[in-house]
Amino acid sequence: MARDAKNPETKLSHTAALILHALDAGFVYGFSIMEMTGLPSGTVYPAMRRLERDELIRSHWERQAIADAEQRPPRKYYKLTAGGKATLEASRKRYPLLERLIPSEEARSI
Amino acid sequence: MRRPLESASRILHFGLLHSAALLVPERQRAEWLREWRGELWHVRQACAPAESASWKGRFEVIGFCLGAFQDSLCLRRAAHSRRLSFAAMTGTPGQCLMILGAILATSYAFALLLPGVRAERSLWPRRVNPNLVLIQAQGSNYNTRPSVTPAQFRSWEGHWQSYFDGFAFYRVTREPVAFALRANRPPAEAAWNLGRASSNLFLLLGIPQRFSDSVSSASSAAGGDLPEVILSEKTWKRQFGADPHVAGGLIRMGGRMVRIAGVAPDGSLDLPGAVDAWLLGSEPAAASKAPGYVVAHLTAAGQAEMWTACVHIAATEPDGTEDDLLGISLEEWRPSPESLYLFAVFLALLALPAITTVSLGEYSVNPQKISWARRIHRWSFLGAKATLLLPIVYFVSLDLACACTSIGRENQAYIQLISTFGLCLFGLRWVLKDQRQRCPVCMHCVTHPAQVGQASRTFLDWNGTEMMCMGGHTLLHVPSLPTSWFGAQRWLYLDTSWNFLFASTTRPAP
Repeated sequence: MARDAKNPETKLSHTAALILHALDAGFVYGFSIMEMTGLPSGTVYPAMRRLERDELIRSHWERQAIADAEQRPPRKYYKLTAGGKATLEASRKRYPLLERLIPSEEARSI
Repeated sequence: MRRPLESASRILHFGLLHSAALLVPERQRAEWLREWRGELWHVRQACAPAESASWKGRFEVIGFCLGAFQDSLCLRRAAHSRRLSFAAMTGTPGQCLMILGAILATSYAFALLLPGVRAERSLWPRRVNPNLVLIQAQGSNYNTRPSVTPAQFRSWEGHWQSYFDGFAFYRVTREPVAFALRANRPPAEAAWNLGRASSNLFLLLGIPQRFSDSVSSASSAAGGDLPEVILSEKTWKRQFGADPHVAGGLIRMGGRMVRIAGVAPDGSLDLPGAVDAWLLGSEPAAASKAPGYVVAHLTAAGQAEMWTACVHIAATEPDGTEDDLLGISLEEWRPSPESLYLFAVFLALLALPAITTVSLGEYSVNPQKISWARRIHRWSFLGAKATLLLPIVYFVSLDLACACTSIGRENQAYIQLISTFGLCLFGLRWVLKDQRQRCPVCMHCVTHPAQVGQASRTFLDWNGTEMMCMGGHTLLHVPSLPTSWFGAQRWLYLDTSWNFLFASTTRPAP
């Protein structure tokens, strides 16, 4: 069942919350999220499809010129929407340990 | 050794991704494959670089590719659920109202397109003056032979009448007719029913003698002194192909020339005799002794005596004897589609309790208090269904009645009356039955009927059908036979302990 992106109280599964945390922490494409969370591809990508459908995240393609310059195929990047950020804040209360699992971008830079 | 293995791995990876891509809906497939191929490049760089790939790394890449199947299945399921979104509307109040709205739009569109309905609702001045009666001999019906002699008519016309203030006489004769459809063409010949009428007939009926609005006025120069005929609309269409320039044309009728003055609108002159053309002012009562028809206008005193569609009239004959006559109201005889519709709806409402119970079931056993908002919602939905049904019945019955114009207005009226009655009766029955089988909380149709007990054996026990609201709000008990403790259907409101059964389908209450 589709979630309401405008309702931050929407309950997320642990996996979805983990992926939102990873995105918020700067892991912005599928494989990096897999590496960070340890979840298999068969879990991460379907979960990201659902999050995108629920308008908690959105995706965009990397520019072809950048990929060509690095001699690799372009990637699809994901980022949190405003609704996703609000839901993430709500999920932090529900899953307080996630904060420890995935350090934020700021913490990693220190 | 390493290079062929590398190529085989590459083929395997792409083979897995392309196989998984077959499960992805076609319009998403290209982008999906592009993303996975892009990701695969990075996975291979990280786990199994070409120069130092380990078996573990290769298996990781294969595991990554196998995950593509789960992703593709996820997208396939999402597309399927979108396709089912309309199916999910099944049984909803919105779907019900949409279907009724579609039927209403279709029947209205038919009403706009059918020529019979357009003629019925045309802007022509088709209604005759009120308080007109057709006077005939006692025992005559509306369409029987003419029964009033010219002598009787002259006698009535010449004396002061307390019940009537205007008379018009007409008689119908069969006349050979010759007319030219187009210039330089041989004239067509036919035999018409010619209505020879008093000059005041159309004035009495309230229909203008000239129809310059409906047909183009022709120059009166052509045969200005000739008698004038007014064609019936049926004749105008059948014989002249609805030619708008027919006015002013000359016709040879019964050995003399007459000029076409106009066309009488269809339906306005539904007088007996099946007249094809009217010849006004020919003093029909003076010229012949053949009986004819008399149209009379009622005075206020006459209207007070006219309780029903027919009234008995005692008239004094010229020789002093009394004759029993019958006055038939023209208005009552030719009711409008609207009055027929209202009458049939009234009859259907009277007959409704005979074919179904008008009760909507018992709600009194509800342990929870249903909010006023939900009650208003429930009654609004019932009202909306009935409101949509009534115009549907009107337009469908009008479409049915006017689908064939050749059957005559009288038969059309019967068809409209019967179809309105039937559609309204069974339509209202459906409205009530549908309402009885909708959850009072969410207004969705209850489903999954289950038969409980055997009605033939256990008269005093509960037996009947149980149906479930798929939103998990209610359970409906419909008894097979009314018993001492279970006479009508009842709703059982389910509490929250039932929710686990409806985890995936629970609908929010409105």
